[in-house]
Amino acid sequence: MIYLATHLDRVGALIGQHVFLVGVSLAVALLIALPLGVVAARNPRAAAVVLGVTGALYTIPSLALLALLVAALGLGQLTAIVALVVYAQMILVRGIVAGLQGVDPALVDSARGLGLTARQTLLRVEFPVALPVVLGGVRVAAVSLVALATVAAWIHAGGLGELLFEGISTDNPQKIFAGALAAAVLAVAADLSLRAAERAVRT
Amino acid sequence: MRYPNAAVAAVHDVDLTIAAGEFAVLLGPSGCGKSTLLRTINRLVEPTAGTVLIDGADVRERDATELRRGIGYVIQAVGLFPHYTVADNVAVVPRLLGWDDARVQRRVDELLGLIRLDPARYRDRKPRELSGGEAQRVGVARALAAQPRVLLMDEPFAAVDAIVRASLQDEIARVHRELGTTIVFVTHDVDEALRLADRVVVMNAGRVVQAAPPEEILEHPADDFVRDLVGVDAETRRLALERPLVERS
Amino acid sequence: MLSRARALALLSAAPLVASCGGRDTVKVGSKNFTEELILGELYAQALEHAGVAVTRKLNLGTTDIAMAALRRGEIDLYPEYTGTALLNVLKLPPDGDAARVYRTVKSAYDKRFGLIWLAPAPMNDTQALATTQAVAGHEAIGRLSDLAPKAGELRLGAVPEFLTRADGLPGLQKRYGGFRFRQVKIVDNGLKYQALEHGDVDVILAFTTEGDLKANNLVVLEDDQHVFPPDQVAPVVREPVLNARPSIAPALNALAPLLTNDVMQNLNLQVDGPQKREPADVARDFLKQNNLG
Repeated sequence: MIYLATHLDRVGALIGQHVFLVGVSLAVALLIALPLGVVAARNPRAAAVVLGVTGALYTIPSLALLALLVAALGLGQLTAIVALVVYAQMILVRGIVAGLQGVDPALVDSARGLGLTARQTLLRVEFPVALPVVLGGVRVAAVSLVALATVAAWIHAGGLGELLFEGISTDNPQKIFAGALAAAVLAVAADLSLRAAERAVRT
Repeated sequence: MRYPNAAVAAVHDVDLTIAAGEFAVLLGPSGCGKSTLLRTINRLVEPTAGTVLIDGADVRERDATELRRGIGYVIQAVGLFPHYTVADNVAVVPRLLGWDDARVQRRVDELLGLIRLDPARYRDRKPRELSGGEAQRVGVARALAAQPRVLLMDEPFAAVDAIVRASLQDEIARVHRELGTTIVFVTHDVDEALRLADRVVVMNAGRVVQAAPPEEILEHPADDFVRDLVGVDAETRRLALERPLVERS
Repeated sequence: MLSRARALALLSAAPLVASCGGRDTVKVGSKNFTEELILGELYAQALEHAGVAVTRKLNLGTTDIAMAALRRGEIDLYPEYTGTALLNVLKLPPDGDAARVYRTVKSAYDKRFGLIWLAPAPMNDTQALATTQAVAGHEAIGRLSDLAPKAGELRLGAVPEFLTRADGLPGLQKRYGGFRFRQVKIVDNGLKYQALEHGDVDVILAFTTEGDLKANNLVVLEDDQHVFPPDQVAPVVREPVLNARPSIAPALNALAPLLTNDVMQNLNLQVDGPQKREPADVARDFLKQNNLG
């Protein structure tokens, strides 16, 4: 508590970096996961490849992945974001595939029968109907990224991991508490706001 | 409409012409190919051989989505878009066709009136707030929204209970009389077919066994299959046909 | 204290800016445990005292990450241990001779990576097994030879690498015999002293310069059969940077002889112990006392 109270400016700056890392990673990850998820939802063979590869990437230990990425991209936020995007893929793609496959085939049939193009069917019918499930995936990914983004500290990319790992390595419970509390607040905030969004889009 | 030599596994050797304004019912057991045949008309199924003509023009020479916007389509599961209101569901095709908002709103209210759902009460409801019968009426309204000359209905009333089904049948018969739309209607329910059809097209194993008005099907079944299908109750059914369809009050 | 914290916050708020603007500064890295953080600050401040502009990229997660960053030029130097370099980076067999280990890694790094090892500090931050006075007295153990046969009654707390490395538990079992602990608990490096204090484990894997050894009055068991390899620390520097900045080598080589085990334990204790001082502050005071800062 004392550290948190006396170092509010530093904790605030680290929270800002953490939110930036998670936010950018989530946005970039979604841009990649959406087309992958659409392709996987339509084509079982593509699904096997996409889910297999994203699943395999998810199991790479974060330290090993970071060391590889630092060798290729160097230290800093870019590398951290790439790592987080890689980890978020599996969760997001699975959510998108589950959401799209959960759409009643009768809806797609009637949409096509009424004369919607494949694209119109996807954007106006399938995505909106799948949205609650997709958002569920986004929520799980966001909460996971809040936790995972602490490893950004290992590669000079900032975030709350700085406090946590400093605290752990220097046996400083004040720093651990400040870092963990801030990360937990972020995770809960992400969870609650995306839950609210899920409820709002549920028909 | 012709389907000569449609050599799809599901449907083959079909040669059938449906007159403008006719109410044609494709009747047969499940798996006989009647839905497949129906879906070749709006190109949801493409025949491997043979052609489908509407007004003498091959449907494959038209863009599939544009073709479908001119053909109404109603299915058993209704398929109303759950995130749209009733009005937005009915307005799907008019909006695809680029109608202006005022015209769309007028048309929506007109159609809701046609299917006897009070526009003021139903316009802004979501599909989950409708009963099964109401949902299917909205499905019919949506299919009719852009004044299609042809309406395809695939077992539209199979999922509702008998009482609601009877009232929906009355409703579609009335709509057919009022609008003169050509209707191709798929069912496995013999009574429904006999009740609604100008002409019943009996199908078995992907072929048309007999295509004739209901009375003729009952009195002169083409073969044992048709005789078995209309069954021992043929006489009762024939008598039932003499009763006029009762409009709901 | 507060102003230092604010400077840290500013630095971490703009890591991209810092790395872009760092063209003309020397980028000092460190790994993310206490001793590395202090050494990183000592190097950085000693260089600043010698008139070299410095950018800090401390707190890097692992040896692999620090090495990858160094080889790419993301950092120009960081404190590394000769034993870690020998075993983890170069994957060479363990060697008990400290001077020979230093020569081996110095020549291999130069040839293979174009990286230069400056003068090593006298401190030897090697592994050690440590226990409480109570356990040592009760079991009458002072050397690893005493512990080997009694391990079956005791619980060990260590990081996972210790269980597999040739200079870890397998090495002890091979050289001393015995060393079959009743239980081995995986304990993070930063938490092991608490685990020992709370009685969750009886023996821990420690490092000989850790301040907590002194603070908690623990018994460091003598490695009488010399299984644990020497681990001296020295700055590893990119050769072009060293050549371009002639003031780097003398500044850091002047610091090296001051860093004995005793000194390092004291510095570590100021950060890890009850004072909870910032590594930067500890480094500054030490350099001032020794007229290097």
